[in-house]
Amino acid sequence: MSVDARVDLGGIALRNPVLTASGTFGYGTEFAPFLDLRRIGGFVAKSLTLEPRRGNAPTRIAETPSGMLNAIGLENVGVDAFLTEKLPALPEGVTVIASVFETEIERYAEAAKRLTGSRVAGLEVNASCPHVKSGGIEFGQDPALLRQLVAAVRRATDLPLLVKLSPNVTDVAAMARVCEGEGADALSLINSVQALEVDVETRRPVLSNVLGGLSGPAIRPIALRMVWQASRAVSIPVCGMGGIASAEDAVKFLLCGATAVQVGTLNYLEPGIAGEVADGLVAYAERHGVARLADLVGALETA
Amino acid sequence: MSGETAPLRAEARVLALRDEGGANRRLALEVPGWPGFAPGQFAMLQAGARGSATRRDPLLPRPMAVYRELPGEGALEILFKVHGRGTALLADLRPGDALGFVGPLGRPFPDAPAGSRAWLVAGGTGIASVYALAARLAGRGHAVSVLLGARSEGDLMGESDFAALGVTLEIATEDGSRGRRGRVTALLEDALAGGEEGVVYACGPTPMMAASTALAEAHGHPCWVSLENPMACGFGVCLGCAAPRRDGSVALVCRDGPVLPGADVAWEGLS
Repeated sequence: MSVDARVDLGGIALRNPVLTASGTFGYGTEFAPFLDLRRIGGFVAKSLTLEPRRGNAPTRIAETPSGMLNAIGLENVGVDAFLTEKLPALPEGVTVIASVFETEIERYAEAAKRLTGSRVAGLEVNASCPHVKSGGIEFGQDPALLRQLVAAVRRATDLPLLVKLSPNVTDVAAMARVCEGEGADALSLINSVQALEVDVETRRPVLSNVLGGLSGPAIRPIALRMVWQASRAVSIPVCGMGGIASAEDAVKFLLCGATAVQVGTLNYLEPGIAGEVADGLVAYAERHGVARLADLVGALETA
Repeated sequence: MSGETAPLRAEARVLALRDEGGANRRLALEVPGWPGFAPGQFAMLQAGARGSATRRDPLLPRPMAVYRELPGEGALEILFKVHGRGTALLADLRPGDALGFVGPLGRPFPDAPAGSRAWLVAGGTGIASVYALAARLAGRGHAVSVLLGARSEGDLMGESDFAALGVTLEIATEDGSRGRRGRVTALLEDALAGGEEGVVYACGPTPMMAASTALAEAHGHPCWVSLENPMACGFGVCLGCAAPRRDGSVALVCRDGPVLPGADVAWEGLS
């Protein structure tokens, strides 16, 4: 039996549902020694700001049980260098989604505008940035701010628009509905979970930034719960992520309502694993007599 | 062999694992498809077969210098110290066991100018980073002085390997149990006082590399250091291993290093 692996993620036609997550995959070319990028559905590039950013002082990462914390500080090459240097370096046939991250709504919109018309297949808005004018609350934590942000980016681009939701909220379904209401084509979740690790010898936080984002298999059950809640609240597709380390993990996200998935932290330690997850999804479908991977989406039985 | 060799991700096999006393371990492994390496390059190692529990907790592989190649297709040696959970799991491996391997990674040590002396200063696990360099420089006819430092005699690694290269070997221990009592940088200070022209290479604790850089600069010698920051990936995407440079920019230890000009590093900003 041949399995149909194709899915449509809010207007982005993917050859299979496996993407890689922003911030874990550089600008794609770093993985050339490990993986043919045409084997996976596509990748989400490192979050871009209008200007290049340098990032935080060391220490930037810390290992935790089945996970890691990071506070990189959104170091990136900036929108212009991405367009002129990074995108042209990618082989034909690779599906790339750009990610944008800014501190003010107008700057998000400007970044979206500059990326429109390039070869990117879509735009993911990273809504986990602190909004400077609101005293540092994340855009994705305040429904009113999130509404303004999505509306402004929607006006700025006709690219398929994904909004990456923060897990650091009380009601993710409400945030999902806000995005759908403002014209988002799809949702990505979850971003990393805000966390803290401590060095008891120095009595200091391990990270220079004090707080960091927890990722890896440690957050997978939280991510599955939030994908399930969000996907039931909206009719636009959801892209699920959080500690995916195998094809079976990816199946769990599809069953909980994700149309596609993103492999994240595991790209660091097992570069190329996203290709194995994609192949493994097809093998799972063959084993279970599933004709189309899309048939698994939301097929979780709770009765 | 050059530093441009593309890295590979492989399931490696343990050939042998030897307890060399204290925390010191010597691991021989077989890496299918091994493309070769240049002195100073490293690999990411993680105990356990692909998909096994030990590859998920602790989550991250450990960066380790490639010590040397052994006879046999794809056979390598790694010297390491049992320090935390990741290295304890590596130390528990038995011949035939699988481990995750990504490498070779990073930029190697540059050569010394023809005919010049090379001073190699190393302490702790940094000793494992300079053995291949010592072998190469000695093989190319350089006068090589290797200065090894440790807390105590039992912490020293690889001493007999260096001795077998025929290089000048000096040792300092903090407790005086072997060689001169005190820090290895005191040996470097004396060595440089001779006024000879040459290049300094250093790998070890941050204060030792900072002091070696300062001593080399004072004598007008170049100094190459190999940094050992924690990292998640080893090939430039996690951005976790950033080291501050004196010019205000940031170097990724995995991609721009691990070997960097010591003069470029903002030592006070390294944790």
